[in-house]
Amino acid sequence: MSTQHPNASAADTRRRQYREYVVRRVAQALLVIALVYTLVFFTLFVLPGDPIENKLTSPLNPLPPAAGEALRAYYHFDLSPIEQFTLTVGRLLHGDLGYSLVSGRAVSDLVAQGFSDTIVLAGVAFVLTILLSLATALTAVYAPVRTIRSIAASAPIASISAPSFLIGFVLLAIFSFQLGWVSSVRDQGFVSYLLPALTLALAVNGPLTQVLIQGLRNAADEPFVTVLRAKGTSEVRIALGHVLKNGAIPSITMLALVVGELLAGAVVVEAVFTRTGLGFITFESVRDQDTPVILAVVILISSIYVGINLVTDLVYPILDPRIVRPGHARSRRSRLARPDVTTAVASGTAAPGGTPTKASVDA
Amino acid sequence: MTPTTRRRARLAAAALVAVSIALTGCSAASASSDADGGSLTYLDAEIPTSAQVQEAGTWQTRALQQNVTDRLLYRNAETGELEPWIADSWTVSPDGLTYTFVIRDGVTYSDGTDVDATSVAKNLNWQSAGDEAKGTTPNAQFPSGLVATPDDASSTVTVVLAAPYAPFLNVLTGWGSGLVADATIDASKEEQSKFVNLIGSGPFVVASETYGKEIVLDRRDGYAWAPPSSPNQGEAHLASVTVIPVQEDSVRLGTLKSGEADVIRYVQPSEEQGLVDAGYDIVSKTGVGLSNQWFLRSQAPFLDDVDVRKALLHAIDRDQIIETQYTDSWTPATSVLSPGTFGYVDESAKFAYDPDAANSLLDGAGWTERDADGYRTKGGERLTVKTYIDVYDNTAKSLFQQIQNQFKDVGIELSLNELDYSTYWATAFADPEVGALRVGWPHPDPSKGLSEYYGKDGSDLLGLAGSDTTLQSLLDAQNAATDDDTRAAILGQIQDHLIDQAYVVPILNDSQVFVTQQRVRGFSLTDGALPEFYNTSIED
Repeated sequence: MSTQHPNASAADTRRRQYREYVVRRVAQALLVIALVYTLVFFTLFVLPGDPIENKLTSPLNPLPPAAGEALRAYYHFDLSPIEQFTLTVGRLLHGDLGYSLVSGRAVSDLVAQGFSDTIVLAGVAFVLTILLSLATALTAVYAPVRTIRSIAASAPIASISAPSFLIGFVLLAIFSFQLGWVSSVRDQGFVSYLLPALTLALAVNGPLTQVLIQGLRNAADEPFVTVLRAKGTSEVRIALGHVLKNGAIPSITMLALVVGELLAGAVVVEAVFTRTGLGFITFESVRDQDTPVILAVVILISSIYVGINLVTDLVYPILDPRIVRPGHARSRRSRLARPDVTTAVASGTAAPGGTPTKASVDA
Repeated sequence: MTPTTRRRARLAAAALVAVSIALTGCSAASASSDADGGSLTYLDAEIPTSAQVQEAGTWQTRALQQNVTDRLLYRNAETGELEPWIADSWTVSPDGLTYTFVIRDGVTYSDGTDVDATSVAKNLNWQSAGDEAKGTTPNAQFPSGLVATPDDASSTVTVVLAAPYAPFLNVLTGWGSGLVADATIDASKEEQSKFVNLIGSGPFVVASETYGKEIVLDRRDGYAWAPPSSPNQGEAHLASVTVIPVQEDSVRLGTLKSGEADVIRYVQPSEEQGLVDAGYDIVSKTGVGLSNQWFLRSQAPFLDDVDVRKALLHAIDRDQIIETQYTDSWTPATSVLSPGTFGYVDESAKFAYDPDAANSLLDGAGWTERDADGYRTKGGERLTVKTYIDVYDNTAKSLFQQIQNQFKDVGIELSLNELDYSTYWATAFADPEVGALRVGWPHPDPSKGLSEYYGKDGSDLLGLAGSDTTLQSLLDAQNAATDDDTRAAILGQIQDHLIDQAYVVPILNDSQVFVTQQRVRGFSLTDGALPEFYNTSIED
């Protein structure tokens, strides 16, 4: 990069700046994943007990000492933590995630089974979350009756405080036990995803809806709405075509957080709906300290989080090139587009005064 | 699909189902009584993890193995007698070292290979030795150093032991002793972990599995080698059994009530009566083996005094526990062994609930002072016994709390501590402060469990390291006693000694509780309280 020609055009400079930015962000992302993996690996060593240890000492079904040694050797537990770490990382680089210490199954199979289930669940829940948030927010801002508006405006608080375990069980009791529309325990394909996805959507839509309501209210007060109204544009067109388009921008940033929430919420929801997704795999492996599975889940989930953030980071400069060029003027729109998410979540409102820096999105 | 087409599709499906029911109905009527007994949906409370034979420690795994594999001998759950199964007959040499089994003719594994002397010998050697190269451990119940030699010409297997091992025949009836085909033994450990690779000769075959989600057992065609006492001697009645683990109690129960499940394992004791009133059947049984008991560690604070330990025995009101927290499916423990177990002796008179006796024992031991909270003290120290709440028992927390209250009545503080599932063994059993912990699980033969828990070469839970020579010699003696009467007498002495020395506090007889729909017939439990689907059918 130091060989840059002094006559390089502005576009070249921008491209170079963007390339450097991409390299830096990708390297940061990989570093985060590697650190998380290392941290979790050694934390698991510090904690007491593991499935092999339990098998050796369990008065339930104990093993003679000689058999115990063989078993330790088979799983390489006889090596030092550093040696085991080297071995595990070496295998990981070859794409070998090893085998579960508890079920004996290939970790890649377990994680693939869990992930393929959860990705559909989270996907359906994601769509439902957006629909739910849009419906609630539009009602809260535009419903003709004041009471309906305030009910809709308080709905996010209700959904934040209702435990998803309860929501899930109530849905199950109604649609499965009473009406018999879907099975409570058998996998019936797509239909089986609807109730758990709805439970998840109800659990995570709160913060998103709050930000959306605030965004719509702010946008509805913008001067351009008065201009549109003066030009005779219909209220529905203003609401759906213009206010929504502008007012939804702050909540788009929140979608990345929603994805995280969906993955975290899956543990509870999968337990209620007897699903064997990533939440189930995570719960089981943590319960049994099944090290190879925990590590695989950790690396997968941290990659997803980091990946989503990375994509957001890489897309922003394309939408707004000033992000890679420090010291630019700030417009009201760019501040709106990059709200302080932390404050928005904590206070339940979008705070348009947030500084447009990376940190606010990472937080 | 639009709603209309979906409705049409559903109607079509319904019509198809109706027609097929009519058709199967016709064929069933014309066929023998062994015809299609329907498909049963069974909801277990836990997830079967690994199908690897020697590792099968968990209850839900055994339940599957029980129905997929056969064993050399069968132990009749009602009479307690040993019956022939895959072994037509057997003899034991007077020195207890040589066992000869005559193998039944015409038995095959579900992959078509023969269950012959060679295969049985291979199984026994594999169970005893494991397979170090594959990380396969020996079966903890089996004697080590066993050598099994087949003679296919005479269909016999000769087993020579390194030392007498009296529990051997009972162990061979156990869930962990299921015979499997070469294909299973020769597979890698990871392949053996899958239930579809568990190839047995049992009345059901694993047709499919999705880890943690569902295991489907199909009826084995041509099955004809049930134990002689079985009411069914042919193929299983049920065409299939779908096993679905559902860990949420309320979901399991709701699914049963909605009619979608036929049998579930475990309900909260508080739910049982309501289910009986609603017309469901409760099927429960205490498995053979050790009762739910607390061992007392004499090195723990204050428990070196036998009178203090005895006071603990008398301070527990077991009837009140059953009455307030459990149901008729459960019973108070009457010994270290559960009733129906080989060698069981009723010891209940020695540890009857008697707070007066407990109080005078403690007074005699010098615990006469009381502190502000009402607990006994001696030399400024409070009489505290530390324990951790058992993580394997859904009802443990309230049980432990009730015992805590009962102890308080006589001035003993029970300090309750909690650990999560994964750290329980490693932490609770290593804690030198721990005075009591819960143990006691089903075992096909009690002596193995007793030696394992309380012998110096086992887990030595009492921490005696063989210093109680009476106990140690009794534990050693019963392995060598091949004569049933002698062995039963020794087992009786062991139970006497454990109670007389107040090493063990029996609490209750653990039960496995199942709830079935009325349409389910012939659902029974083995001597180990495992479900047997072989004689089960569904009748509408």
